[in-house]
Amino acid sequence: MKGYHLGELEELVLLTVGILNQEAYGVSILEEIKNQTGRSVNISAIHTVLNRLEEKGFLRSKMGGATEERGGRRKRLFTLSATGRAAIEQVKTVRNKLFEQLPPFALDFSYGY
Amino acid sequence: MDIKRNHQPPKLADHFLEFYCSAEKLEQIQGDAYEIFYLNLEEKGLRYARFRFFIHVLSFFRWGNITKTRLTNYSAMNTSMLKNYFKIGWRNLLKQKATTFISVFGLACAVGCCLVAYLFIEQIWFKGMLQPNKNEIYQLTYAVDEKEGKVRYGTVAEPIAELLKDEFSQIKSQTRVKSGFPVLIHQRESFKQRVMYVDPGFMEMFIYQMEYGYPQALSEPNQVILTYELSEKLFGDTYPIGQEITLVTNGKEIQYKVGGVLEKLNDMEIFNFDLLVNFETQEMLESAVSVKDSWNSELWTFVQIDGESNPNALSAGLEGIRKSQNKINPEKPYLNLELLAYTDLVSESEQIENGVISFLAIGPQILLGAIGAFVLILAVFNYINISILMATKRLKEIGIRKVIGSRRSQLMIQFLSENLIVCVLAICFGCLLAVFIFLPGFNQIASKSLKIDLFNDPYIWAFLISFTAGITLASGLYPAAFVSSFKPVNILKGNQQIGSKSILTSVLLTFQFTLAIISIVAGIAFLQTNYLNENRDWGYDNSDKIIVNVPESEGFLALKNKLSAIATVEGVSGSQNYVGNYIEESAVTLNGLEYEVNLLQAEATYPELLGLELTFGRFLDSKSATDLTENIIVNEKFMSDLGLGFPTEEIIILDSINFQIVGVVADFHSEFFERPIAPTVIRATGDIAYDFLTLQISPGSASASMDLVKGSFREIFPRGLFQGKLQEDVFEFSFNDVRGVQNIILFSAILAVLLSAMGLYGLVSLNMSSRIKDFCIRKVFGAEMGDLSKKLFRRYLISWGIASILGGIVSYLIVTSFFDSFFAFHSGVGLLPLSSGILGLLLVIGVTVSSQLWKVYKANPSYILKAE
Repeated sequence: MKGYHLGELEELVLLTVGILNQEAYGVSILEEIKNQTGRSVNISAIHTVLNRLEEKGFLRSKMGGATEERGGRRKRLFTLSATGRAAIEQVKTVRNKLFEQLPPFALDFSYGY
Repeated sequence: MDIKRNHQPPKLADHFLEFYCSAEKLEQIQGDAYEIFYLNLEEKGLRYARFRFFIHVLSFFRWGNITKTRLTNYSAMNTSMLKNYFKIGWRNLLKQKATTFISVFGLACAVGCCLVAYLFIEQIWFKGMLQPNKNEIYQLTYAVDEKEGKVRYGTVAEPIAELLKDEFSQIKSQTRVKSGFPVLIHQRESFKQRVMYVDPGFMEMFIYQMEYGYPQALSEPNQVILTYELSEKLFGDTYPIGQEITLVTNGKEIQYKVGGVLEKLNDMEIFNFDLLVNFETQEMLESAVSVKDSWNSELWTFVQIDGESNPNALSAGLEGIRKSQNKINPEKPYLNLELLAYTDLVSESEQIENGVISFLAIGPQILLGAIGAFVLILAVFNYINISILMATKRLKEIGIRKVIGSRRSQLMIQFLSENLIVCVLAICFGCLLAVFIFLPGFNQIASKSLKIDLFNDPYIWAFLISFTAGITLASGLYPAAFVSSFKPVNILKGNQQIGSKSILTSVLLTFQFTLAIISIVAGIAFLQTNYLNENRDWGYDNSDKIIVNVPESEGFLALKNKLSAIATVEGVSGSQNYVGNYIEESAVTLNGLEYEVNLLQAEATYPELLGLELTFGRFLDSKSATDLTENIIVNEKFMSDLGLGFPTEEIIILDSINFQIVGVVADFHSEFFERPIAPTVIRATGDIAYDFLTLQISPGSASASMDLVKGSFREIFPRGLFQGKLQEDVFEFSFNDVRGVQNIILFSAILAVLLSAMGLYGLVSLNMSSRIKDFCIRKVFGAEMGDLSKKLFRRYLISWGIASILGGIVSYLIVTSFFDSFFAFHSGVGLLPLSSGILGLLLVIGVTVSSQLWKVYKANPSYILKAE
C-alpha cells in the first residue's frame, strides 16, 4: 500500500479543514486550531502547509466570498479531497495500531530492571 | 466598524507584501493578513496589531510566495511592449511634424556644436591615443635641481640612447627625436619646413599609414618620409617616390630622396612635422664634438618595451646610466632618470619642461565648450517646454492608459522612448551637420583637420553614446515624470490644467532669452571691436612698403644695393627686427632704475622711411657720428612710463652706453592689438648687416614690385629662403585669427537667436492652438486686436524684461573679461552691443508672436467656433 507521509502540522491542518467543512481558510483554520488545541500557529506556516497539502492532492480549493474585514479580498476556501480523507484515516489506523501495542506502563515494574 | 475605517494596516509593510508576493497568492495572503490585523486591533489595540502585521508580512516572505515569474508576467520592458512604445512614439512624432522639426533641428544644431567642441577638446587631451603601441612606449625624462626647485625635463642627453641598446634586452625599439627648421629646396624653390630627425625605430614604434612607399624607407640614411600635405605641395600630381630634395642646415646642403609619403595626418597625432629624416644624417653634419658636448646636447628619447615586461625592471639600469651622467657632467647632475608613459604625455605636460606637448590651449577649449553648452541648453529647454505643452494634447491618452492599468513607469518609458527617437534622429542629423557644415568651417577658421573618424576612434563612440543617453535623460526625464503624474480622474473630468501658465516654462523661456542676449551682445561687441581694430591707426604709414629678409649677413650690402636699383624702390633701410613683428626686449637704466623696453635696432633712416610720426625733436641722421653712437629716439609711451618730458637732459643707459634722447615719435603698434604698446627705444647703429630690409615703393606699385624684389633676391641668394611681404600685411595672420573667432561667435549668436525664436514659436503656436476659441469668442464680443495682443504678449514681455536685465549684466561682465584677456585694444561692451542685443531679441519676439496673432486676426470666428 502506498504510504501517506504527513507531518504533524499537516495532519493537524488536514483535520481542521475537515472539521470546518466548507468554511476553511487561513484565518479560520488558525482560530480553530487555537480553540481546539490551544496552540497558536503562525499564519504563514498555515499557508505553506495548505499549499503543500493542495499540491499533494489532499485538499481542494476555490476562491470564496469577500468580507469587509479583508478589505474586499476573497478567501481561498479549502475542502478535504477523497485522498485527504483516506490519508487521515490511514494515519489514524497506523496510530491506533501502534497505540494498542503499547504495554501497560503502570503495571510493569520489571521494565528496565 | 468605525475603528476599522479609521485604522489601516501599516502602508510600508503592505506595499512590501504587494511588491514581493506573487499575483495568484496575493489576494488570499493579503486578505488573511488584513483579517488578523483587525482581529488583533479589536483584541489588543493598534500598536500590537501593527506590529503583528509587520511580523506576518515578513513571515510570508517565503520562496513559495515570492513572485518568480514577474518579468514574463508583467513587464514594461519586454520586446513587444518596447516595440509598442516606439511605434506609438513614432506615430506621435509624425503627427506633430512642426514641433518635431523644432526639437530635432534644435538638438541637431546642439549636437553639431558639441561635436566640434568635443573633437577639439579630444584632440588635445587624447592626443596620440590612437597609436596601437601606446601602452608600450615610454619617454625618458630626468630631473635636476634648479633655482625654482626640482624641474623635470622631457629631453635627455643624446648619448643615453646609445647606452640603452647595450643595457637592456626588454627594449623592442627606440628612437631619438629632434626637430628643426632647415630650408628645403626643391627645383629652385625654397621652403621652411618642420623636420623631425628620428631613428629608423621611430617608424616601428609609431604606426603611420603610408600613402606611398614603406615605413622602412627611413633605414636608408639618404631617404626621407614626407607628409601627404608636403608631398602635394612639392610634387603635385607626380609620383613622389624617388624625387630629390635638398635640406640646408647651418649652411650645409644634403641631398635626399623621397622614400615614402604618409597618409594625411589628423590632429590626433602627437608629433607635428612635415618630413621625417634619418637621425644619422644630422650626426654627419656635426663635426666631431667632445664627449662632454655630446652629453650637453639634449633631445627626446622614446623606447618601446616588450609587452610583457615591466617598465620598473629598467630602473636599475637607468640608475647606472644616471651615475655615468653625473660623472661626465658634474655641473648639472641628474637627480633621477625615469620613464614617462606615452599615455601620460598630455596629462603630465604641465610638469615637464621641453616636453612633446608644451601648451594645452585652454582658452579656445573654454570658448568652444561654452558655445556648445549654450546651444545645448537652448535646445534642451526648447524640447522640455514644447514636450510639456505637447502633452496637453495627449492628456486623454494618458488618462485612458492609466485607467486601463498602465503604470506610471510604463508611461514614463513611453515618453522617454519618444524622446529617445528624437535624440537619435538629432544625433544622426547633428553628425551630418557637423561633418558637412560645422567641421569644414571650423577647420578652415582654426586651421585644423578635425574629423569624425568612426572607424578608428573609440572615443568618439563613447562620446556619442553617452551624449545620446545624456540628452535623452536631460531633456526627457522631467517632462516624462511631470506628464505621467496626473490623476486619471482629473484628466478625464477635464480639470487638469497644465502648460500654458506653468512657472517652469516661463523660467526656461527667460533663461533662453538671457542666453540669446548674451550671445548677441558678444557677437556684436566682437564685430565692433574688429571693425575698430581693422581701421585703427597703426601709428605709421603702412602702405607701399615691402619687407625682405636677409638670410645671410654676407649678402646684406649686395642685396641692399641691388634692391635700391629697382626703379620703383624709393628707399631702402635695414633693421634688426621689423615693426609689426616681435621686437627684441631689452632693459635701460635711468637714474639707477631699470626699465623693460623694446629695442629696435635699425639704420638711422628706418623710422623716417617707415613713416613714424615725430612729435618732438628730430629723427636720427645717418651722417652724424654722434647720432649713431650717443643718440636714440623713443616713443611717447617710453616718455610717459619713465616720467620724462621733452627736451630732457637725462642720460639713458643702454648696454652700459650713455644715450641722449633726441626725438620722440608717436606711439605705434609694433605688435598686434592683443598686446599693449610697449615703451620702445630706436637705436641706429653703423653699417652692420641687418636681418631685414624695408623698401619704400612708389605709391600704388607695392604688390607689383614684389616679383622684381624676389628676382633681385634670387640673384644674390640663389638658395636662400625668400620671405618678402608687404608692410600692410604684417597683421594679416592675427586678423585672420580674430576674424575666425568673430565668425564662430557670430555663428553661435545666430544659432542661439534662431533656436530661441523657434522655441518661442513652438510655445506660442501650441498655446494659441489651445486658446484659439477663447480668442475667437473674445473677438465675437468685440475685443480689439490690441487687447488680444496685449493679453498674448504680456507674458513674453515680462520674460524679455527679466532676461534683458540679467543678460545685460551677465554679458557685460563676461564679454568684458573675455575682451580684456584677448585684446589690449578693444571697444568694450558699449551701448551699441547691449541695445542691439536687447532690442534685437525684442524684435524676434515681436515677429514670432505677431505671426501667431495674425492667425487670430485672419481667423473667421464662425468657422472655428462651429468646428465642435
